[in-house]
Amino acid sequence: MTPLDTSATGVGASLPRLDAREKVTGRAQYIADMVRPGMLHAAVHASPHAHARILGYDTAEAQAVPGVACVLTGDDFPDGRMGAFIKDEPAIAKGKVRYPGEPVAVVAAEDEETARRAAALIRVDYEDLPVAATPEEAVAPDAPLIHEGLADYFKVFPAICGGNVASETELSEGDVDAAWADCDVIVEGDFETPAQAHLSIEPVGALAEVDAEGRVTLWSANQSVFRVQANVCEALQLPMSKLRCLTPKVGAGFGNKMEPHVQPLVVQLALRTGRPVKLILNRTEDFETVRARHPFKIRCKTGAKKDGTLVARELTAVLDCGAYGDDSPGVLGYSLLMSRGPYRIPHCRASGKLVYTNRMRFGAFRGFGNPQVTFATESQIDEIAGRLGMDPLDLRLKNRMQPGDRWFGGGDVASNGLAECIEKAREASDWARGRALPAPPGKRRALGVAACAHISGLLATGAIVRLLEDGSVVLNTGAVDIGQGSDTVLTQMCASALKVPADRVATASPDTDGSPYNWGTTASRVTYTTGRSVVAAADKVAEQIKRHASEIFECAVEDLELRDGGRVGIKGVPDKELSFFEVSGRAHWAAGGPIVGTDTWVYNQPSVDPKRAIARGLPFPQIGVYSFGCMIAAVEIDETTGKADVVEVWSAMDVGKAINPGSVEGQIEGGFVQGMGFALTEEMVFDGPRLANPSMMDYKAPTSLDAPFDIHSIIVEAAEPGGPFGAKGIGEIGLVPVPAAIANAVAAAIGTRLRRLPLTPERVLDGMLEGGDED
Amino acid sequence: MTGEPVTLRVNGAERPVAAVAPWTTLLTVLRDEFGLTGAKRGCNQGVCGACTVTIDGEPVRSCLSLALNCADRDIVTVEGLVPAGAPAGALAPVQQALAEGNAVQCGFCTPGILISAHALLRRNAPLTVDEVRAGLSGNLCRCSGYKKIVEAVARASEARP
Amino acid sequence: MEFVRPDSIEAAVAALQADGAACLAGGATLVAMMNADLVAPDRLVSLRDVAALRDAIRRPDGTVVIGAMRRHRETAEETDLRDGQRVLSEAAAQIANPPVRNMGTIGGSCAFADPAADYPPALLAADARFALIGAVGRRTVPAGDFFLDWYETALEPGELIEAVILPPAPAGTVGSYTKLARVAGDFAIASVALVLGMDGGACTHLAVAVGACGPAPVRRRDVEAELIGGGLGDAEIRRLTDALAEAFDPVDDVRASADYRRRVAPRMVRQALVEAQQRLSETL
Ligand SMILES: Cc1cc2nc3c(=O)[nH]c(=O)nc-3n(C[C@H](O)[C@H](O)[C@H](O)COP(=O)(O)OP(=O)(O)OC[C@H]3O[C@@H](n4cnc5c(N)ncnc54)[C@H](O)[C@@H]3O)c2cc1C
Ligand code: FES
Ligand code: FES
Repeated sequence: MTPLDTSATGVGASLPRLDAREKVTGRAQYIADMVRPGMLHAAVHASPHAHARILGYDTAEAQAVPGVACVLTGDDFPDGRMGAFIKDEPAIAKGKVRYPGEPVAVVAAEDEETARRAAALIRVDYEDLPVAATPEEAVAPDAPLIHEGLADYFKVFPAICGGNVASETELSEGDVDAAWADCDVIVEGDFETPAQAHLSIEPVGALAEVDAEGRVTLWSANQSVFRVQANVCEALQLPMSKLRCLTPKVGAGFGNKMEPHVQPLVVQLALRTGRPVKLILNRTEDFETVRARHPFKIRCKTGAKKDGTLVARELTAVLDCGAYGDDSPGVLGYSLLMSRGPYRIPHCRASGKLVYTNRMRFGAFRGFGNPQVTFATESQIDEIAGRLGMDPLDLRLKNRMQPGDRWFGGGDVASNGLAECIEKAREASDWARGRALPAPPGKRRALGVAACAHISGLLATGAIVRLLEDGSVVLNTGAVDIGQGSDTVLTQMCASALKVPADRVATASPDTDGSPYNWGTTASRVTYTTGRSVVAAADKVAEQIKRHASEIFECAVEDLELRDGGRVGIKGVPDKELSFFEVSGRAHWAAGGPIVGTDTWVYNQPSVDPKRAIARGLPFPQIGVYSFGCMIAAVEIDETTGKADVVEVWSAMDVGKAINPGSVEGQIEGGFVQGMGFALTEEMVFDGPRLANPSMMDYKAPTSLDAPFDIHSIIVEAAEPGGPFGAKGIGEIGLVPVPAAIANAVAAAIGTRLRRLPLTPERVLDGMLEGGDED
Repeated sequence: MTGEPVTLRVNGAERPVAAVAPWTTLLTVLRDEFGLTGAKRGCNQGVCGACTVTIDGEPVRSCLSLALNCADRDIVTVEGLVPAGAPAGALAPVQQALAEGNAVQCGFCTPGILISAHALLRRNAPLTVDEVRAGLSGNLCRCSGYKKIVEAVARASEARP
Repeated sequence: MEFVRPDSIEAAVAALQADGAACLAGGATLVAMMNADLVAPDRLVSLRDVAALRDAIRRPDGTVVIGAMRRHRETAEETDLRDGQRVLSEAAAQIANPPVRNMGTIGGSCAFADPAADYPPALLAADARFALIGAVGRRTVPAGDFFLDWYETALEPGELIEAVILPPAPAGTVGSYTKLARVAGDFAIASVALVLGMDGGACTHLAVAVGACGPAPVRRRDVEAELIGGGLGDAEIRRLTDALAEAFDPVDDVRASADYRRRVAPRMVRQALVEAQQRLSETL
């Protein structure tokens, strides 16, 4: 076997991914690669309409196709509804359709071609309803109602909703209206961001299988086996004990695979046919039906004193929810919580509306609303710097949150590496050379900066660490590794906590039957929340190991220490030691019982302190601990066409502690390029309710030639007191400041502030020709 | 499957299929008939690159290659990057470079990237960063930001004898 | 659906005469469309084994004949294309990405005639002709008469492209191809193909074709002719770009607006002409 370099394995080492060999040999199994004996293949019949009542189905022709095993329509599904915040979504359209592409019927057949052919033969009788394609249309007085039952839907938070408004949220501190009078400079503007596709290279899919007792096993492309279980059981009205969820390798999730996609469809088909059923969406179906980043319209106003002290901010946002609630209320609430940024702004009010439309649902996407508001707010910090003639970095440093300051709303901030991020980015980018950089003929180059914060979140997590008979270890957390590398860093933590090499720790694949609950791989939370449980569970194993040793050596537990290589010994007495093998053997066969350490917890620090802030309709009572970052981008503009390219970037991110620096860099680099796509080229174009570019040919994400090679990751480690080894998350924050940093560089290069993403050649050229000096 | 019989030469082995329909792509045959699931279907439109294999030494899209049109050609998939007869678990240098260079995240793009990289590495000279960037520009990766992949491939090209 | 793989041009032409027959060249477009259920020809005539279609030949007079099955990568690396003919290799090098360039062919690209494709403007600027063959025999059609409308060419049913013929470019001319796209390897928002010759400040050869700004590439031979013999300064370039812009008929699509195309293409032409003059003066 070609050995991989695994000389260093503990916390702080860039250990190669545990599954790297499996992936480079092509042996890693993803959902589409799975086959079960007797398996059927499914296909979806999708709605051609944006909004229509379903009057009836004719499936006779489809049923008659040789090889077809089962055709199901909305009539064949229970009346349950799922939804992370508002239970508004059936497993399949029932009674009416609410967006083009919505699944209306499903077919299972002996092969995929047959299933697709049959699905196309299903006839559905519709009565068209008026369409509300945009939030503006949906809040108009005569707008059609998209969810007649909204008032009665179950909601997990005190939602303020009505008509087509799914949720309204407001958060404020201080006296914003009065504060404008104290400002010497006020900037105000309207910002707009488009829908962005997650574009995991793996399209979604699922495979369900039923045993003789009618219990279902479900594999799917997912970010949480537990959310899959909850969603499917809600939609299909199954007891959770009747559904076991597992995961194959996941071809990346950026929020798109957190909540359900086709899982309920295959479960129902498997239940009806008694056979395994697999459904893999093609790329167009994936584009049109899974979910995408919310389009935001933001009005933002920020005021400061002459000396640069920020005084007041008001931000209002309107989000297109799409046809179903999904994670949207959370995205709205979270984006408002982030709207003050990492600064002291005593008077601040943020409010927003989430509006149902007849478009595909929008949902969680890396950053969870934060990149959109940060685009607006960090643009305005630069505008204020321009108006006051201050250096943008100095202005940010001057106003940054200080130790002891609370987050907007009142949350506790324990660690804050922002100042170090700003200083390190300043130094590495040689900011002092000036913002306009030398450029080749016909080009302009400039630097732009943005700072930001993000959370490492929240909710419930657990870990089980077991010592096997031979002293090796199995770690079981229920956290799905979606490619970001959590299995590796959790293993490193477990290995470090027990002082064993990482290859002595096996990581169990998530299983709702056997793993402790884990809300999901989302919100930059696994390293922080699950890591904490891993360390706590490993510590419990260590305690038991020491207790055995203390009984054997007849010494106090406090006199014992773990030693490298899986040994326990008496402090200061090198030859008094036992191997984990000896200890575990004793536990298994003689005394105490097998050694298992478990830990579970739920994040419970309140995000709102009612003494400081007023909050209405906020879905997050707790959100997590804070990370900080600062990014400087060097952008080149082609004067002929207006095309903007990023040529170099410095991304300084506070991760608390880099458990695996190579992985942290991977998140920073990947987050940057995905954010760059959002800033420059990616846009889901809608023609009314319909997506006009549901293909990779028409929707363009950056290639290796578009992404700059010079992405400098600067790791800042402001240890988080409660974090495992001091760590906090890095999954999302690297994307958050990207659009703002690029827009600020573009503004510096062309002298015009652009407030609408993406910064297409057309918009940049227009801005450049408009010319003028920035502000 | 309806259609004609065909024999494909994949990773050095002659592999017959009893019946292949005219519209069936090489990708489908590799995955569904031969169980070679290393090549992935990301788009089925030639854009993403996850299905890239080499035909007669050149990287191409297996999703755009009709299986019947691939008779008498030499097809290499990610499963064939390690020469036949190498010890179990052996890796080609480019596979090792990606694995050790933290250049593999979700891994869905990885087989296609490896095939494109492998074709690039058949050139003798060490590759510059820009040559690697151009050579891999037909393989989308949504996770990595490309930097570590490009570094790994450039490093593998320097290590060549 | 039926699949045939003839090994001669005559057999290919014969096979193409059936209703619903279509040539399969690189498959980069055709198979993608089949995968998306957009087309389903009754008979696929694979040109893979027609050896004669794969060659490129340089005749003694400098004419280059490129077989329809010549792949983009081969055309990009074609050393037989010289002087102004290099406009074609520059265009080929900017199509898509390496794996697609290993598949796609010049015949397939031109037959499909995507208005945003890279070959059509390059061939128009190179004064190329298409050698076509059908049941009734062979004929040649100049590039300007070949690309007729959105995805429409002069090909008759049952006819195929045998080769593309590039006349010799005058010695000392330069060919260049500039493409603006959203990301590397995407189809063009707008593109400019040109062949230019200058002699001591006077223009000796001028051909400028603009792609993706209408149903077919746009060229203004009338204005080019007026500019031959004179200098090529701002005013002259302006005359040409104004005339080209008059002939544009772009549409809004997901890549860009029609309005932007109208505005950016003349800027690209100007920049390309300035750069081409620089290249010429550097090679002197
Ligand atoms: C991801 C991707 C990106 C692309 N980017 C670009 C780009 O940037 N610029 C660009 O110009 N193109 C681009 N293309 C298109 C590419 O160049 C195709 O190769 C080309 O359009 C079709 O060539 P082909 O040989 O593959 O033809 P095929 O797909 O085999 O055939 C295309 C059509 O032409 C017909 N045909 C083929 N050969 C002949 C012939 N000799 N005579 C008559 N009819 C014939 C076929 O019947 C079919 O209708 C891209 C394609 C893909 C998949
Ligand atoms: S699946 Fe072939 S290129 Fe995407
Ligand atoms: S590693 Fe996930 S797409 Fe490349």
